[in-house]
Amino acid sequence: MKVVGITTQQEVYVGSKDRNFRINEFLIISDPYQGDLMGEIVEAKTYNKYIPLSIHGELADSSVIESLKALGYNIEEDTIYIGKIRLLNEALYPVETGCDVRIPTFDEVKDIMINSPADEGLILGVIKNTDQMAKDMDEEYKNLLYTFEEGELKKQRDIPYIFNIRSMHQYPHIGVFGGSGSGKSFGLRVVLEELMKLNIPTIVLDPHFEMDFSQRGDYMPKEEEIDYRDKFKCLQVGFHVGVRFEDLSPQDLKNLLDASSPLTDAMNNVVDILFKRNDSYNSFYNRLKMLAEAQEEGSLDRIQLRIDSADSNLEREGWLKRKELFLTYDKTCPYNSVRGIIWRLNRLYNEGIFSKDIREIEDGLNMGKLIVIQGNTRILQVFSTYLLNNLYHRRRDYKDALYKKTTAEYFPPFIVVTDEAHNFAPKGYDSPSKSILKEISQEGRKYGTFLILATQRPTLLDETITAQLNTKFIFRTVRASDIQTIQEETDITVEEARRLPYLRTGDVFISEALMGRTIFARIRAAHTTSPHTENPFDELKNISKAEDEKFMQIIKNKLPINGDDFINVIKEIERDTGITYTVNIFEEKLEDLVTKGLIKKEKTPFFNIYKEI
Amino acid sequence: MYTIANELKDKIVYLNKVLSEKYSQVLSLDEMFLREFIEENVGPIRKVNKLTEEELAYYYQKGGILGVDGSRNRVGGAYPHFVEIYQGLAKSTIYKDKPIYKADFYSPLYDEKGEFPIEDSIEEEESIRNRKLSTIEIEAALEGIRQLKPYAVIMDGSLIRYDIESFTRWMELRRECEEKDIILVGVIKDIKTSIIGELLKEDKELNIEECFHDRELLYGMLEYGEMISIHGEVTKKAKEGFSSLFMRSSKAPTVIGMDILDSQKKYLEEMARLVLTLTPEDGRGVPLWIDIVDSEVKISDKMIRGLLESYLDRQILEMLFISERDKRTL
Repeated sequence: MKVVGITTQQEVYVGSKDRNFRINEFLIISDPYQGDLMGEIVEAKTYNKYIPLSIHGELADSSVIESLKALGYNIEEDTIYIGKIRLLNEALYPVETGCDVRIPTFDEVKDIMINSPADEGLILGVIKNTDQMAKDMDEEYKNLLYTFEEGELKKQRDIPYIFNIRSMHQYPHIGVFGGSGSGKSFGLRVVLEELMKLNIPTIVLDPHFEMDFSQRGDYMPKEEEIDYRDKFKCLQVGFHVGVRFEDLSPQDLKNLLDASSPLTDAMNNVVDILFKRNDSYNSFYNRLKMLAEAQEEGSLDRIQLRIDSADSNLEREGWLKRKELFLTYDKTCPYNSVRGIIWRLNRLYNEGIFSKDIREIEDGLNMGKLIVIQGNTRILQVFSTYLLNNLYHRRRDYKDALYKKTTAEYFPPFIVVTDEAHNFAPKGYDSPSKSILKEISQEGRKYGTFLILATQRPTLLDETITAQLNTKFIFRTVRASDIQTIQEETDITVEEARRLPYLRTGDVFISEALMGRTIFARIRAAHTTSPHTENPFDELKNISKAEDEKFMQIIKNKLPINGDDFINVIKEIERDTGITYTVNIFEEKLEDLVTKGLIKKEKTPFFNIYKEI
Repeated sequence: MYTIANELKDKIVYLNKVLSEKYSQVLSLDEMFLREFIEENVGPIRKVNKLTEEELAYYYQKGGILGVDGSRNRVGGAYPHFVEIYQGLAKSTIYKDKPIYKADFYSPLYDEKGEFPIEDSIEEEESIRNRKLSTIEIEAALEGIRQLKPYAVIMDGSLIRYDIESFTRWMELRRECEEKDIILVGVIKDIKTSIIGELLKEDKELNIEECFHDRELLYGMLEYGEMISIHGEVTKKAKEGFSSLFMRSSKAPTVIGMDILDSQKKYLEEMARLVLTLTPEDGRGVPLWIDIVDSEVKISDKMIRGLLESYLDRQILEMLFISERDKRTL
């Protein structure tokens, strides 16, 4: 391998007669004057002067090449390999043409490849095309993981990519971008597995119900299996966790209602006026309800009439109360706004949000667990707003108290992870969860609260937040507008951006502020699998197979069945199993079994006979 | 600046007119008639097939094919202030890593063996240069034969050229090939003969006054893979001990020629098949192996300049070999 052609301080071409170059491969140029210069292959080409790309005929056709081979001359051996190397650090002078190029040893690249001990960082995958340097790698970094290549589990051959979690203190927040099927959710799963290994308190907002870690990947060798079951907890909003109404501040409540459906100024005002500290759901709801009922009467006179004509004491008292509310609040709380609040509150209540509290989450975090919060996107938006506000401020209060030398209850630092982040912090319009995410993105670093945001549409994610993501994992992306955004937000090069639509599933560009360059990596095989991995078409097939088998079982000892005897057979089946078929359906099912070749049909002049094969 | 002088345009129109008049006779000749004429007077037209894999494997066992070619580069201005560099290459299909290179140079400023042309005769001087090139190719071939022991040698160009230009060395090569039973053929990319043309002219019935070249007459006449093996008596080469043929070796309408030693005449068709096998169907009709050897022996003018600049004293270079033309920048 030698440096060829015209060189510059930044880029050189290397040529080789026998060794092909791989993209993102690291090589060392031994410049006689400047010493060793490290560079990375950014473009690789091969060329054979005897087999040129010629559009006007004169293409050495395969028969001639084969004939020459038969005569002992293999034209393909004349192929030369050319790679374009970009130096990691600009050289002082242009690189000397003709100097040798070699493969670096592990020690030479260690600093630029690995910046964390294996047991302290997140072992996310391998750095691609580094197998040659991995040979003399320290034992600590060997055999850490498996990768999936072409559907097969492979042992680690390359240098591992270890994300230095400690560096988040300096360079906070991670973005995970990639289209559907690019390996994004899968990459997120690996990140979460690693967080669990390190017992880092984490909150995961999971709108897809997929972040369950109890199902182990059956492809992993037995001795490598890791049990994550006691490291995480799946909690469903409204079922396991919810909001304790009594803990809500007026602002919390407004956020919640707003997340349910946006509030008008007047409605905000209604909440401010009507909501009292320590209100329970019932007391607040009743207050609203009674006020609305009073307002529906229309005037004081009519309310008075109600009081006067009340049948019971209870009813009279009720109307007296309404009268009081009407007198106090009617001027400040317009009827429509009151109704709006009631409607929103009802909606939240029906979703069960107010039936539980977040104690379980807090306990989990305190134990260093990964807490997965599940629910549909909208309910998660509502709940996360409350939850994150709550947790973040707990953490913040604790840290501030330390600083102010007062006391506050301990609350651990934690990481917030969400898929489909553009739903939680959309660009262009306000959403309640956005403001808290924005706050964390901007100042969470100081309080030890970090974000890992995954999205298929980085373009739709709030820009202030995107700008704060110091590390970005970029999977295959096809949309031009998203590639554009990625290019603007990362240090990814034009060549790399051009490769984005063609990345294999699980291959990822990692743009890390700590490294100051983009790393091309492959995510490791996850130890656990998502509950949604069964192919829906397999599912259909299996279901219909199971149905057939079941039906076969039922009719098996009734065979042969005569076409004029359906009624009796159906009766028998009904008696034996309690399952009822109509004659038409029964015949259809039998015909179906015939077409599938499970039973056979014989035709007679009068009716068909269905028989065992 | 971008307009073309009218006179120039007129001249070209005129050239087209005279040429089309001259060739109207050839172009109007009936193809069938011409083919019959050739069959009768020149030699039989036959279609040949490519070699089979077994035959190629046999060649491989017997030592493969040696391709020989030469190149010349000239640096400098008019006589006698120039130097010509020659390079010959013999390359075997089997011994890929053992190319045999030979090099020589010629400059009128240096008299090797007192063979300076007595007068400044251009022909004389030209023949020295041709001799040098031929000799270097023969030497490469000789060494190739001795070292690599091929089954056959394909030279780039007519064998008769070597016979004329470098007789003694040629005889040596010829003898050695005959002794060692190595087939020696020349492949002529650009045929310059007029064997058929002369016969046509001689035929009084046809009333053709001009003597046309074979290249013109055979253009597009043969089918792909067809060859004409030329009767000994109609070619002048027979006297020098050669047998020849014409063949259309690719889909291109042009025809190539091949020479072989008379003593090896029985191999002529076999060699035609070899050349056909090694020629890309959509190519110019030149065997790929010859093209490969050719591209390896060729040295770019830039490289030669570089060599001279590095190894000649600057003063000598400037004084003798840099012409006024070389310094022109416009």
